Amino acid sequence: MPQCLLSHKKYSYSHHDQKGPSQAIDVHDIVIKKSKTRVIVSYVGILIYLATAFYSLLVKEELSTSSFWSILVGVLFDRCLQYKPVKKESVVIMPTFGVQLETHCWSGRVIHRFVPIGKILRPVLNECVTPVTCYWSLALMLHGKEKLVLVFQELQPPVKMLVPVWKALCAATNGKEISSS
Amino acid sequence: MDERRRHRILMVSDFFYPNFGGVENHIYYLSQCLLKLGHKVVVMTHAYGKRSGIRYMTGGLKVYYVPWRPFIMQNTLPTFYLTLPIIRNIIVRERITVVHGHQAFSTLCHEALMHARTMGYKVVFTDHSLYGFADVGSIHMNKVLQFTLADVDQAICVSHTSKENTVLRSGILPEKVFVIPNAVDTAMFTPAPNRLSCDEIVIVVISRLVYRKGADLLVEVIPEVCRLFSNVRFIVGGDGPKRVRLEEMREKYSLQDRVDMLGAVPHAQVRSVLISGHIFLNSSLTEAFCIAILEAASCGLLTVSTRVGGVPEVLPDDMIVLAEPAPGDMVWAIRKAISMLPSIDPHVMHLRMKSLYSWHDVAKRTEIVYDHALQSSEKNLLQHLPRYLKCGTWAGKLFCLVMIVNFLLLHLLELWQPVESIEEVPDMLLVQHQDEEIEHDFSEARKKS
Repeated sequence: MPQCLLSHKKYSYSHHDQKGPSQAIDVHDIVIKKSKTRVIVSYVGILIYLATAFYSLLVKEELSTSSFWSILVGVLFDRCLQYKPVKKESVVIMPTFGVQLETHCWSGRVIHRFVPIGKILRPVLNECVTPVTCYWSLALMLHGKEKLVLVFQELQPPVKMLVPVWKALCAATNGKEISSS
Repeated sequence: MDERRRHRILMVSDFFYPNFGGVENHIYYLSQCLLKLGHKVVVMTHAYGKRSGIRYMTGGLKVYYVPWRPFIMQNTLPTFYLTLPIIRNIIVRERITVVHGHQAFSTLCHEALMHARTMGYKVVFTDHSLYGFADVGSIHMNKVLQFTLADVDQAICVSHTSKENTVLRSGILPEKVFVIPNAVDTAMFTPAPNRLSCDEIVIVVISRLVYRKGADLLVEVIPEVCRLFSNVRFIVGGDGPKRVRLEEMREKYSLQDRVDMLGAVPHAQVRSVLISGHIFLNSSLTEAFCIAILEAASCGLLTVSTRVGGVPEVLPDDMIVLAEPAPGDMVWAIRKAISMLPSIDPHVMHLRMKSLYSWHDVAKRTEIVYDHALQSSEKNLLQHLPRYLKCGTWAGKLFCLVMIVNFLLLHLLELWQPVESIEEVPDMLLVQHQDEEIEHDFSEARKKS
C-alpha cells in the first residue's frame, strides 16, 4: 500500500515496498501535483507564440529583422511557460540487482533507465548552483565514469524528499542499515 | 560559543582562490580564523574556469563559485539587478546575519551589498586599496563607492592612510570606519635555518612588474646599486608588462650575472625565494598596506621600501628603511640597509613579527565590527533613502531610484519565490562519520520545516 509520506506545494513523495521474486523491492515516487494555473498559463504561452507567428508571417507584408526577433521572443516565452510533460519520477531499488529510474509522462510514455548495483560507487546529494538559484539534486556516482547520473532528471524535488531516497540508495549500495535518527 | 553572539557571515568578492593576491589571502585567512572562533562563514565569488558550483575548503569553509563569468580584470559583469535572485537565495538558505564585502573594485561586492541592504541585512565593507581622485576611472569608482557606503553599517580599512582615503572618496562618517591591519601567516614564512653569509648581499624583489608597483624605479635603481656595491646581487621575481624594461636594463648594463629574473613565482614558493636574500626591496608607488613586506620581515629580511600610502604604518623603524619614490633616495636607503645588516637577527625579527601580527587578532577585531554592525538600528528602506540623496544633486536621486527599483524587484521575487520555499542548508560538521552526521543535520532541518 503506497504511503504519501511527504507533501509540498509542487510535489508529493510516496514510498512503498513491493514483493519481488526473491526479496522486497523499494519504490520511491515523486509526483508533480497537477496545477490548473500552470496548465492555463501554458496554453496562454502557446497562444502568444501562435499569435506572434501569425502576425509576423501573414499580416505583415514582408519579413524583417523585427519579425524574426518577435518570433524568437515568442518561442522563448512559450518555452518558459510550458507545463512540464512529466507526471512522476520513480526510483525502484532492487537490492543486489540494481536501480531502475523511471520517468512517467502525462501522455502515458515511460522512460526507463537501469543502473546495475555493482556499477554504483555512491549515491550523493549535490548542491547545484545556477546563475539565479541553488537547489539540491540526487545523483549516482558510477565506477569508471566521470559524469554523475541524475536520479531525478526532470523534477527538482525539495531536499526533504531526496533524503529518504538517498538513505535507501545508500543502504542498497552499502548493504548495511543506516540507523535512523 | 553563545548562540546569540555567533555570526553567520557571507564574504563576497570577485577576488578569491584560485586567484592569489592580498585580497584573496585576506578573505581566506580571516574566514579560517572566524571559523575557529565558532562563527559560520560562507564565501561567494564568481566561477573561475571550470571551478563552478559549491566547494568546501579547509575547516569547512563553504565557497559558492556562482557561474557568472568574469567580465574585465576578474570582475563580474555589472548587471545591477540580475544578481538579486542568487544573492537572496544564498543569504536565505545559509541563514546569513552579516554580509561582508571586500574590495572597492569588485562589482559583485557592490551588488551584493546593495541587495543585502535592500533585504534589511547588516553589511560591512572592507577597502583594501588606495585610489586617486583625478582620473576618469577613479571618479567613477569613487561614485560607486559613495553609493555602496552611503548605507553600510560599518567599514574596515587596512591602515589609517587607507581610512583617510576611503573617507574622503566616499563621504562615509569616520566613526563608522575601523582600522584593522592585515596580518601574515608566520608559520608559513619562517627564516632560513642557517644565517646567510654577508660576503655577498642579495636583494630580493617580488612583485608584479607593473607601473603602480614601481617597476620603472627598479630600472633606475638596480644599475646604480650594482655600480656602487660590487658585492650586491639582485633576485627579481614576478611578471608583468614592465618585465621587458628590466630585461633591457640587464642587457644594457651587462648585469646578467648579478640580476636573476625568476619570472612569476607561485605563492607556495615565495618563502624559498625570500630566504635566499638579505634585503627585501619594495618600490611601489601606492600601497594601502603591503602584505609583501610583512612576509619578508617574517622571513627575517630587512626591508627597503618607498614611503607611500600605508607602508610607514606596517613595520617598526628598526625593521624597515623608508625612502621617497625617487631613484637617488632609494639608493641611499639601500646603502643604509646594507650598513644595518650585521645587526639584524632574522630569528629575532621573525619572533617579533609573530607577536605583532596574527590573523587570529584580525579575526577578533573583525568580530567586534560585526557586533557593532548588528547593534545598529533597524530601519526600513524608506528611512534609509535620505542617505542616498546626500551623494549628489543628480547622483543622489539616481541612487534612490536604483534602490527603489531594487526594492520593487525584491518584492516581485518574493511573490515568485517566497522565502518559505527556499530550503535552509544544514551546517556541515567535519567529523569522522560524515554520512551519519549529514543525515542527522538533514533530519533536524526536516523537523524544523
